[in-house]
Amino acid sequence: MKRQEWMAAYLFLTPFLVSLFIFFLYATVRAVYFSFTDYNLFDAPRFVGLQNYINLFREENFLLALRNSLFFAAIVTTVQTFLALVMASVLNQRIRGLNFFRAAYYMPSVTSSVVITLIFLWMYQRQGLFNYLATQLQVYAPLLLTFFAILIVVQIVQVAYERSRKLPASWFDPALLVVSFLVALAGTWLLSFSGVVAARDIPPVDFIWLQTRREIPDGAPWFLRVAIPLIAIMIQNIFTTIPTFMLMFLAALQDVPKSHYEAASIDGATPVQQFFYITVPSVQPVTFLVVTLGLIGTLQMFDQVAIFGDAVPLRSVITLAYFVYNRMFPGAQAPEVGFAAAAAMFLALLTLVVVLIQRRFIRSEAV
Amino acid sequence: MAGALSPNTRPEWISQIDFERWQARRRWARAGIVYAVMLFFAVIFLGPLLFATISSLHTDPLAYPPTLAIPQLSPRNWAAAANLGQAGAGNRWWGGFAPGANVPFEITYFVPAGQEPEVPEVVVPRRRPGAGLGAVMVIDFAADYATVTPVEEVRREAGTFMVRGEVVEGLFVTYAFRILYPGSGPTIERLPLDLTVPVGQLYADSTLAVTRIERRGRVASFDNVAPGALGYVFNNYRRTFNEARSITTQESLFWLWTRNSFLVALARVITTLLFASMAGYALARLQFPGKNLIFVLILLAQMIPGQVIFISNYLVLRDGIWGLSSLWGQPTLLNSLAGVILSGLVGAGAVFIMKQFFESIPREVEEAAMIDGASQWRRYWNVVLPMARPALGALTILTFQGAWNEFFWPLVVLTTPEDIKTLPIGLLTFRNVYGGAGDWGLILAGAVLSAIPILILFVVFQKYFLEGVSYGGGKE
Repeated sequence: MKRQEWMAAYLFLTPFLVSLFIFFLYATVRAVYFSFTDYNLFDAPRFVGLQNYINLFREENFLLALRNSLFFAAIVTTVQTFLALVMASVLNQRIRGLNFFRAAYYMPSVTSSVVITLIFLWMYQRQGLFNYLATQLQVYAPLLLTFFAILIVVQIVQVAYERSRKLPASWFDPALLVVSFLVALAGTWLLSFSGVVAARDIPPVDFIWLQTRREIPDGAPWFLRVAIPLIAIMIQNIFTTIPTFMLMFLAALQDVPKSHYEAASIDGATPVQQFFYITVPSVQPVTFLVVTLGLIGTLQMFDQVAIFGDAVPLRSVITLAYFVYNRMFPGAQAPEVGFAAAAAMFLALLTLVVVLIQRRFIRSEAV
Repeated sequence: MAGALSPNTRPEWISQIDFERWQARRRWARAGIVYAVMLFFAVIFLGPLLFATISSLHTDPLAYPPTLAIPQLSPRNWAAAANLGQAGAGNRWWGGFAPGANVPFEITYFVPAGQEPEVPEVVVPRRRPGAGLGAVMVIDFAADYATVTPVEEVRREAGTFMVRGEVVEGLFVTYAFRILYPGSGPTIERLPLDLTVPVGQLYADSTLAVTRIERRGRVASFDNVAPGALGYVFNNYRRTFNEARSITTQESLFWLWTRNSFLVALARVITTLLFASMAGYALARLQFPGKNLIFVLILLAQMIPGQVIFISNYLVLRDGIWGLSSLWGQPTLLNSLAGVILSGLVGAGAVFIMKQFFESIPREVEEAAMIDGASQWRRYWNVVLPMARPALGALTILTFQGAWNEFFWPLVVLTTPEDIKTLPIGLLTFRNVYGGAGDWGLILAGAVLSAIPILILFVVFQKYFLEGVSYGGGKE
């Protein structure tokens, strides 16, 4: 009976195990082996010890890839985690239609990275949507500033009036905010109609997102600079990932008792204080998970670099993953398989470190 | 002072009714603000997709300033395009230029006061439909078959026109002519047209909206004056399918890529469902040595980046999995769909999901079958698997989506010829061939088309996608 169960189990597992052994286990072991050789696809591999790993750090493109990958991972993960949490806490309402909107936000995340990247590549063109919106923002800046100035003044006046009547109005009182909004809208319209403030007449913004070698901040040493095209990819990545993480946060937030927020608001906590003192601590386990998934995803970023391709200078967007691919398939030159494998092992190591750190945190949470 | 005030407790100097009214007002306002914020997020997250979809109809999606009011969305142009298509080839929908065509066309110019109106010079140019892949195809040119009747002036009206922000007085002059296709010949997809006038005479209007104005306003250029309604609105989409063709079979590349993507995704779904549920069942239900080791491998496999394993996998496929593929006559599995399918039979993540699901089914359901002496396979196939429908549903959707969108691995395996590619890497070909020339209409159209199957799946099986997020979250 027992023996029969073993047999059955392994029969059930056969297709999976065969695939796992060939395409994962054997592949990983072989990559480790290659990383210690000078294999180039044509000649038999020769053992070279740690030479590939040492050479990595003498290779300018690898150092650039390392810099780009680390910046990319750090900045994108931080920004997207924060924005996803903010968005989730704004949406954490029992409100009709929320499900519809949740689904709508998720759309960019289900489409392929190629589709989204192509669309963003198009919007980053010099005559594209990003530059157009930047132009519009500058053209209408006087009106926008007027609008917000009126909004703030009217809100302050209203809250002060309510408080003078001994009503418990907070600075962000929604009812008063709506009134302030309408007054500001009418006020701005009147001022622009009477010609007191007017849209500015400025030439179209011609910011170069793609074909540029510019890196910021300008004066910093090379390893502290971020290239403009990389920032473009960062913006795109943040845009695509926020909805996924927002949904994960939202699921976690719905378990936080509403009474916590009510108690805090009785104590006079502002929405911002509530966010930092209730929301952030209560979703901490999900935050760890989101940060880990974010770091793993961003460290291995490849698609966007491949799709941006010759639209951007390679050195400004090359990542570790792309470096590996590039050395394996360098076009006209001979592939440097051993060297590529060493870079891949380095990438795997980075990923592993992230996972281990997360495990440690989760364990200490549990204790 | 502020701390003492709370919107949730009634100060004693306010009556209960007043306070409730005050609170209700706040609630309504709050709901309004939340909806406004949700709408704002929707614009941010859907805006780029919608804008790209609308711009994919535009002849030149890079035209500045970007606008949603494009000629392809104007009903007046639809009607004109349908009529012209009827006149050109008797086809209101897809138009064309066929023998016997008699296409009437009118164009109106504004001539500032003091300048003498001049009859435009009408030419049917020899223009290829696009750069890149389209250029290798041998096509017939409308220019070789078309005859333009003499241009006549039909109307003259005084009026004013905006010229560089200033109102200018002058004349609107309308000219009419016909384009004929005498004799016999092939039916041609497009009928391009160029009209040239002296400097100062300005294009104002025409039967069909002008495609572009060139040479400082002198040339009004039309890509196709007999497009038919659909041919006019979905010109970029038609180009997506028609222009890029296989060098060997002349089949539409975009169509081949779509078919390949479907084949790969379908095969991936079938193998994943079967093998992942079998492996998941064994791991969840059966006792055997080595179970823990396999489990560790599953966790590891999810962590190792694709860039580590692709090196060896590439070589394995190159050698046809140690010559195995020679058995069915393929010396190598590179550049073959079989290679992509065989190397992705079942993922560790899918096995993990199925294992988790089977563990949630109570053991009792199997016991009856066990007493009946049913074999292990029957217990799995007849008892447990039917209960796993929800998990299998979710796995189907997620696997299909993953396979359809996959980029890195197909990029490595499928390089030549173009015929063998899947949609995502095919789109990369489009981007490389047309992006440099600034011809974004076709790229956007291809991108939108390739997203449609997933968007349909998403709308229909939304629940599974949103659950998929929590599956991802449950990876721990």
